Amino acid sequence: MILKHCRISFFGLMLMLSQTVIAQPSADVGKTLFRNYCAQCHAKDMKTAGTGPALGGTEDRWSDYPREDLYGWIRNSQAMIGAGHPRAVELWEEWKPTVMTPWPNLTDEDIESILVYINQEYTKVPEAATASSGETGEIVEANYNWLYWILLAALGALALILMNYISGLNKLIAAKDNVDYVEKPILKRIFSKPVVSLLILAAVIFGGYTTVTNAISLGRQQGYEPDQPINFSHAIHAGENGIDCQYCHDGARRSKHAVIPATNTCMNCHSAIKNGSNFGTAELTKIYASVGYDPQNNQYIENYDNLSTEEIEAIYRKWITDQYLADNDLMDLDKKGAKEVNIQWEGIVTSLTNKQKKQIQGPIEWVRIHNLPDHVYFNHAQHVVAGGVECQTCHGKVEEMDVVAQHAPLSMGWCINCHRQTEVDFKGNDYYANYELYHEQLATGEKEKITVEDIGGLECQKCHY
Amino acid sequence: MKQEFGDIWVGEKDLNRDESFIANAQNEIQNPSLVDNLGNPEVVEDLGGNRRDFLKMLGFGVSAATAAAGCDIPLKRAIPYVIKPEEIVPGVATYYASTYVSGGDSCPILVKTREGRPIKIEGNDLSSITHGGTSARVQASVLSLYDVNRLKNPSINGEAATWDQLDKDVISALNSAKGIRVVSQSILSPTAKAVINDLKVKYTNVDLVQYDAVSSAAMLSANEITFGDRAIPNYRFDKADLIVSFNADFLGTWISPVEYSIHYTKNRVVKDVHHPKISKHVQVESQMSMTGSNADNRILVKPSQQGEAIAYLYSAISGTRSVASSIDAAVKKALSNLAVELKKNAGKSLIVSSSNNLSEQILVNAMNQALSNYGATISFDNASLQRQGNEQGLVSLVNDIKKGTVDVVIFNNCNPVFEYGMTDLAEVISGLNASVALSYDINDTAALCSHVAPIHHFLESWGDVEAKRGEVSLIQPTISPLFDTRQGEESMMVWLGKASNSDQPYYDYLKKNWESSLFANQSKYLSFSTFWDQVLGDGIYSYSAPGLGQDFSADIVDALSKVSKGEDSDALEVQFFEPLTIGNGEHANNPWLQEMPDPVTRCAWGNYLTVPVGFDGVKKFKGFNNLSDGDLAKLIIGDKEYVLPVVQQFGQAPGTVAVALGYGRSKIGDAGKNVGVSVNDSIRLSGGLAQYYATGAQLSNKIGKEQWFSSVQYHHTMGVTADNKKGEEINADEAALAPGYGNIFAGYQGSLVGRSIIRKAHIDNLEQAVEDLQNEREHHQGLNAETLYPYDAYRKEKYEVGHHWGLHVDLNACTGCGACTIACMAENNIPVVGKKQVARHQEMAWLRIDRYYYGDVENPNVVYQPMMCQHCDNAPCENVCPVNATNHSSEGLNQMTYNRCIGTRYCANNCPYKVRRFNWLDYTTADLFPANQVDVNGESVPFGADNLTRMVLNPDVTVRSRGVIEKCSFCVQKIQEGKLTAKVEGRQLRDGDIKSACQMACPTGGITFGDTNMKEGEFHDKLESPLNMIVLEEINVRSSVTYTMKVNNRDEVLELS
Repeated sequence: MILKHCRISFFGLMLMLSQTVIAQPSADVGKTLFRNYCAQCHAKDMKTAGTGPALGGTEDRWSDYPREDLYGWIRNSQAMIGAGHPRAVELWEEWKPTVMTPWPNLTDEDIESILVYINQEYTKVPEAATASSGETGEIVEANYNWLYWILLAALGALALILMNYISGLNKLIAAKDNVDYVEKPILKRIFSKPVVSLLILAAVIFGGYTTVTNAISLGRQQGYEPDQPINFSHAIHAGENGIDCQYCHDGARRSKHAVIPATNTCMNCHSAIKNGSNFGTAELTKIYASVGYDPQNNQYIENYDNLSTEEIEAIYRKWITDQYLADNDLMDLDKKGAKEVNIQWEGIVTSLTNKQKKQIQGPIEWVRIHNLPDHVYFNHAQHVVAGGVECQTCHGKVEEMDVVAQHAPLSMGWCINCHRQTEVDFKGNDYYANYELYHEQLATGEKEKITVEDIGGLECQKCHY
Repeated sequence: MKQEFGDIWVGEKDLNRDESFIANAQNEIQNPSLVDNLGNPEVVEDLGGNRRDFLKMLGFGVSAATAAAGCDIPLKRAIPYVIKPEEIVPGVATYYASTYVSGGDSCPILVKTREGRPIKIEGNDLSSITHGGTSARVQASVLSLYDVNRLKNPSINGEAATWDQLDKDVISALNSAKGIRVVSQSILSPTAKAVINDLKVKYTNVDLVQYDAVSSAAMLSANEITFGDRAIPNYRFDKADLIVSFNADFLGTWISPVEYSIHYTKNRVVKDVHHPKISKHVQVESQMSMTGSNADNRILVKPSQQGEAIAYLYSAISGTRSVASSIDAAVKKALSNLAVELKKNAGKSLIVSSSNNLSEQILVNAMNQALSNYGATISFDNASLQRQGNEQGLVSLVNDIKKGTVDVVIFNNCNPVFEYGMTDLAEVISGLNASVALSYDINDTAALCSHVAPIHHFLESWGDVEAKRGEVSLIQPTISPLFDTRQGEESMMVWLGKASNSDQPYYDYLKKNWESSLFANQSKYLSFSTFWDQVLGDGIYSYSAPGLGQDFSADIVDALSKVSKGEDSDALEVQFFEPLTIGNGEHANNPWLQEMPDPVTRCAWGNYLTVPVGFDGVKKFKGFNNLSDGDLAKLIIGDKEYVLPVVQQFGQAPGTVAVALGYGRSKIGDAGKNVGVSVNDSIRLSGGLAQYYATGAQLSNKIGKEQWFSSVQYHHTMGVTADNKKGEEINADEAALAPGYGNIFAGYQGSLVGRSIIRKAHIDNLEQAVEDLQNEREHHQGLNAETLYPYDAYRKEKYEVGHHWGLHVDLNACTGCGACTIACMAENNIPVVGKKQVARHQEMAWLRIDRYYYGDVENPNVVYQPMMCQHCDNAPCENVCPVNATNHSSEGLNQMTYNRCIGTRYCANNCPYKVRRFNWLDYTTADLFPANQVDVNGESVPFGADNLTRMVLNPDVTVRSRGVIEKCSFCVQKIQEGKLTAKVEGRQLRDGDIKSACQMACPTGGITFGDTNMKEGEFHDKLESPLNMIVLEEINVRSSVTYTMKVNNRDEVLELS
């Protein structure tokens, strides 16, 4: 194991996080802590079991033992099981082989706060549907396009009438001057020189405008919604299960990259949850095939990197088959089942291999959705931690997306607009203390707020270097 | 004769008012015009444009437009880890402590890695030797990891082979050997030595032959004779008030330059203007070495007379009658005066010499002893092991091979065939039963060996380094081996049959060795694992290792009679020296080091013969034999002839020339192949010791012109003066701008002649000089009182809010070593352009070190000035950009936005400091057209075009394309990173949080980066110094870089008059 001589330590960050926790247990703090630490395995209604048991009534179940035992259990359950604590052993018998992740960093106050939050959620009466109906008044958007068409037709008719009138007048003048008047055909009269030049000018302007707007939008891909190798649903993970974005995208708070989670992050939960709610074994088995986990025996496969495709196929076909049989209460694979197993195995192969990557083993190659140009420097930590921007501000309601699509245009204008409007947490962060002039101006009311623009957020070398 | 002439000057052309040079100085862009050269087939061919390229471009244009119009979004992949290593956060750098090592040179370092790739090297400030300092070679070593020419698999007789075959062959050869020798440069690793000892136990007649690329054997032997310790003592240049160096380039290449530079500059920086005190440095040499250029006084002595000069000084100190000697009366007088000064400074002086003559080194020790310097400025406690070699071993090795008593030789990553060609080693290798080269890349020695076992780069290796007794540092791998290579020590363990089956047998061996030696001898740590983890984290372990305490004893009379006899003939003498950049050829395949100009001659990509500049006593200067810069001349030494390009060198002793070793290697990777001329075969042995000079040489007149004369001496010069048609002195670059000078433009401030570029003073007149400086600055600031843009009014509104970045450069701390320039290349993805482009003034370095001479034209002093973008608050470059690609930030940065730049180069033309660089060609090979690409040294694949070399790129800095201007950004990526860290931690930024790459590399603390709005801290204190000046302050550009006045301690009694 290589020891790092790490300069950029995030212990400071951890320290800071823990300092923000107030000594008094509070449901608000508990809620944050619950979301960060517990929600991945425990349902947030506190009544149903997830990967781990429902947490409602925890305190009652531990009431026979000193409070410290409950703390100890949360901080390191395996140690208590090892020590033979009766309640711990009882829980282990019920839930093994699922191991509760130890949280040694939680303080007593933290745990108390979580317990307060658990109780609050557990005892909460579902809110009655009290919203009065009918009065909201849906606004029907009227469509007035037809008016424009009528107006256009009227103008056209007017032009024709005027043309006719002018030609009549010309005829009169000709007659008066005793000159032969040859009436031009109507088409020639419509497409006279001035009209044609006007039309060409309009075409050039329109063409130029279209070219420029299209050229600007080249490479922009707002709304881009590609198929991914795994039908991973953010709606289920972030929405239904309420897993915090940064549990998986843990780079967002400490790096420029939000980070696509490594497969071992998936395994934190999916070593226990082996059947997905949408696709059963079809999608989850891809994770196991990527990392080399044998879901049947709950262990990682030795020497997985050197297995042949056939050996891998045997392992996962058996797993899919067995699951199919168990789900359908069958002893032998029926025709439909055989087809299903084939489809699922083919799915694994197509998802995990491509032209460059011939092996099943190895990383899952996701399709990148948010592509900033190479000459743009963007830092997630800057926005998420220092700026306190919600993920959804730029990424949209990902927790409602089954397939992720690009929400924002990611254009420079869009960045700049936000920098113009966004207020900086000027008083809350000691970093800004040396902007003395601005503090004075805030105090005297000369400035209402300090935006990102005021501290140089529109300057070139904030993003381009 | 002492002749003060002019203020400062860059070279002979400057003093001579060379017309073409002055004409060139008027143009920022000095590209030999392509149109002018269209008659020259070479230039046209070099252009590469032809009908084919035109058709290609046309076809590409049409198809690209079609494709762009109709294509889908290209599919980009985002590939995560399968199992993410705990210590890696993608996008965040991880640092590992390790140690740079190359032969006897070493430096404890921190390796910056991104996503598992080492990309930058910083010094380890826990080291008591280097204190976080680095050198150019250390900075550049990360590039050699990604050398496309490194050996990638084992080979037998030139054919690729497997490790099994090679091991089988070698083991059977070792088993049947009559005598085995391991040849190596000084081995600093105690554990590697243990492996070699195992070899001695297992096989019969095994011996280790150590040598150094440039020998210090006489010095080691002298220490053994006089003090009973074959080691190099600790020299404390910081404790010495008077330093005398006989040709020892201790700031550049001699023994431990980083350490010596730190100590030396401590006592050269002026701390208190009212009671100034700096040390005095006297250099006795023939050629202007980097160390000599920093000296206060130089006593010019021919190379062959060094011995007699040492003997003369000894006699003068000890009061004994001096022996007859060939040296000049003027030198004798200076040396006598020096002896008086030395005796005044007894116990506070230090004499060093690079002589490789045993008697001379004994005399140097005797002088230091007589001056009671041992125990004061010199100590054998924690003595240095950085040089252990003795080339006499190589001589006897050749004899043993000829006799047949040695039939197997293992070369441990060394190249004695090139470095010690005179030993006939090349001829005898083929007579061996087996010759095994443990080699990193192909070299003259490995090419002759029957078996080549490629080794890891030090960044892929485990190991330890004991540069000084009791100062041990660890080497740990920072990347998995890139190719099928094996660590040298592991190979030897395999041949011993000792390699265990574990993944890293040498790692296990290393740990065991540490457990049984260093861990066993300490009491602080109870368990080995905590001890190991701590040392691995720190990278350093030290303990006290007192010297032997033996008293001085030597046969002085014998030594005095055996110093080398000086030649008093008029024949030319040649000094060979180790270049600061590529060493004695070891680093010749590193393009960064090849492109780094020599600090003194300022020439890159090759070795140049430095010839003395003759002075007619009035105004004109002529090179020796009428040679001028870039001429080719033939140098004849004995029966050998060399055709070398010439540079005129101020301060070169009359009757001598000098040329660098290490160049002209032919068995080497692409970058270094046949660059320069090898003069290594003219080194001769005297008493088995290498002598780095030649006498009785002849130099021809001009026989030709070097086609690509890549000296940056006259590139990007500022403040050059010239005579206008009326004979008035004007600024050369102003002549173009103000043709009516003398009439309507007379007196407008831009036309000032005496531009303030360098300020210098003698320490005795410092107070007066400071006062003058203050007055002059006041005057300069007053020049701009009437302006439409009152700076002070908007300064408060704009720049005093938040941060305002600045840089402080202490010219007294700058030795010119150039570590900062390479650090800047590495940090900012600066391309290498190759010899031709350098010759065309197109080098890309953002940070250059200008070298100016001043004082006596025949024996001048030198001042180095690191010059980078000055980030002017009133920047002339910003106003002229038609697309606003360069503009000013509220933090005082002059920002360059590449993707907005359209390449008009108006900014470069308008920059008074000449620091903007234009990408003339596609140096990073992002282009499709060979005409736009550049080959650095005729490689098959242009430098930087392959994915291996690109691994060294810093992912936080844009790689620039052809056609845009670039320049120093004050390491804006580091500024942003430092600010973000502070914001995330919710605290104010502290002084020293952000350090520019040049600052971090600088061993002597000469460069300090900081926030000028910060009211305390090191940077603030430095800005308060009364020695501070701003370059070209009179033109009111409001530069953010502050320099100090250069202070010297030149002593009149030591003048050669």
